[in-house]
Amino acid sequence: MPTILEELAGVYVRHTSYSELDAVTRIIVPFFLSLDVFFVKDITTATLLAVTALVFLLWAGVPLRFLKNYLFLILSLSFFIVLSFVFFKEVPGNTLYSTTILRVNAERGVWEWKILITDTALLQTAFFILRILAMIFTATLFIATVSDRDIVWGLRRLKLPAWVSISASLFFRGISFFVSDFLIVREAMIARGVDFEKSSLARKFRIYLNALIPLLSLMVTRSLEISLALESRGIQPSTTFSASLHRGKLTIKDYLVLAFTVFLTIFLAWWFTWRF
Amino acid sequence: MTQGKAFKRGVTWAHIVTFILATAMAYVLAVLSSLIFPVLGAPGVSALYVASSVYVPLGIWMGGWGALAGYLSCLFLGLYPSGYTLYQSVIWAFADFIEAFIPALLFRILRIDPDFTVKRGAAARLFPVFVSTGFIILILGIIIQVLLGSLGEPFTSIYVASVYTGLGLAVIGIMLGLLVGDAKTWGVYIASIILTSVASGIWGAATLTLYNVPPPLPAELFWPIFTGWVIGDFIVLSVLSTGILTALTPIFKRTGLYVEGWWA
Repeated sequence: MPTILEELAGVYVRHTSYSELDAVTRIIVPFFLSLDVFFVKDITTATLLAVTALVFLLWAGVPLRFLKNYLFLILSLSFFIVLSFVFFKEVPGNTLYSTTILRVNAERGVWEWKILITDTALLQTAFFILRILAMIFTATLFIATVSDRDIVWGLRRLKLPAWVSISASLFFRGISFFVSDFLIVREAMIARGVDFEKSSLARKFRIYLNALIPLLSLMVTRSLEISLALESRGIQPSTTFSASLHRGKLTIKDYLVLAFTVFLTIFLAWWFTWRF
Repeated sequence: MTQGKAFKRGVTWAHIVTFILATAMAYVLAVLSSLIFPVLGAPGVSALYVASSVYVPLGIWMGGWGALAGYLSCLFLGLYPSGYTLYQSVIWAFADFIEAFIPALLFRILRIDPDFTVKRGAAARLFPVFVSTGFIILILGIIIQVLLGSLGEPFTSIYVASVYTGLGLAVIGIMLGLLVGDAKTWGVYIASIILTSVASGIWGAATLTLYNVPPPLPAELFWPIFTGWVIGDFIVLSVLSTGILTALTPIFKRTGLYVEGWWA
C-alpha cells in the first residue's frame, strides 16, 4: 500500500516489521511524539526525542537518502536560527565574540546593531536545532508509515459520512491529477513557443499565472465529472459506509510500541514539570 | 401554471469535490512556493506564496469551502515538507484559513455579487503595482517605528516619510482599482487584500515564533517572517488572484459552483 510519502514525493518506503503494526498504532505513535515536542525544554530531552524519532524512522524503513533531502532545509534553518540569536538578540552569558556592525546616534540614545556570540546563545541555538530535527523526524514518520487507505478506512470506522472519507481519498488523487494537468498545460505552452527555462523571474511569474487559469478551469471540469459519477452511483455526501471487513486487531507488538511511546510522553512531562 | 418559488440548493458533491481538488492544487503550489521562493529560516513560509492565489479567489466564489481549502493545504504543508508537528500545524494553518475567510466575509457581509469584468485594462495592470508597493513601504515604516521609534530621530523621520509615501501610493492604487470596473467589487477586493495579508501575516508569524505548542522558531524571527509573509501576500493577491478572478468568476457562476452563502 503506497504511503502518503510515496504519494506526495514518490519515495518508496521498504516493508519492515514496523509496517506490520496496526494502522491505529502507526497513527498514534507520531501523535504522541508530536505531543512530546511540547515537553522538550532542554538539550538533553531534545536529543532524546530526536534520537527516538530517528530510531522509529529507521525501523520503519525510511531510506536515509530521503532524509538527505532535508539537509538543505535543516542547514538553512540552523543558519537563520544562529543569525537570530547572534544578530537580533543579545543573549546574556560569557561573551565569545562581539563586534558592532552599525551604530546610529539617535535623538534619545544610541542604536547599535551588533554581533554578539555567547555560550548561552550557542546552547539555545543547539536546543532549537535539535528540537527542529525531532519535529522533522516525527512528521516524516507519520507520512512515511501511514497510507491514504489507512486514513480513509480509519474515517470509515469512525462512521463518518461518505464526504469525509471520499474527500480524504480524493485529496491524494487530486495531487497527481494536478501534476499531470500541469505537465499537459506546460507542454502545450512549450509547443506554442513559451520558454520556461530561459525566462527571467518576472516573466516566469507571468507564465505561471497564464498556466494557472487553464489549470483551474480543468479542475472545475474534472470536479463536475467526478461529482456526476458519485451522484449517478447514488452516493450522497451523508451516506455512511460499512468498514467491518477492514477491522484490524492490535497485537502484543502494537501494545509494546504504544506502551513505550506513552511512557516516553509521561517521562518527558515529568521531566518538564520537575525541571521547570 | 408553475408558481415562481425561490429554492435554496444544499451542499452538493460538486462543492465538495471542487473544494478538495482545489485543496490538492493549493498544497502542491504551497510546496513549490516554499521551496522556490522561501523566507529562509521559516520552513513553509514563502515570499511569493502562489497557493493563496487559488484559495483566496475560492473563498470569494465558494465561501467557507475556500477557507477550508486554505486551512487544509497549509496543514499538510506544515507536516510535509516543513516538518512541524501535527499540533503546531493545526494551529499555524489558521493563517491560511483567515486569508481566505476575510475576503469571503467582506463579500458576504456587504452582499456584493462579484463582477470582476475589466473595463479599463491599464488601470487593472497598474493598481496592483501601486497598492502593493504603497503598503509594503507603509508596513516597513510601521515596523521601524515599532522597533526603533522610542529612540526618536532619525527613525521618526523615516517612519513619517514612509507613511506619507506608502499611503500616497496606496491611495493612488485604490483609486485606480475603483476605475477597473464595478467599483463596489474592486473596492471591496482591494480592502480584502490589505486586511487579509496583514491578518494572516500576524497569525502566521506569531504562531511560528511566539504562540504555539511550542513555537518552532525563536521569537526574534517574528518581524522578518511577518515582513516576508505580508509582502509576498500583497504581491500574489494583487497580481495573481486578480487575473484568476477576472478570468474564472464567470465560469464559477455559470457552472453553479458559485456559493452565495457560506456553504451552499
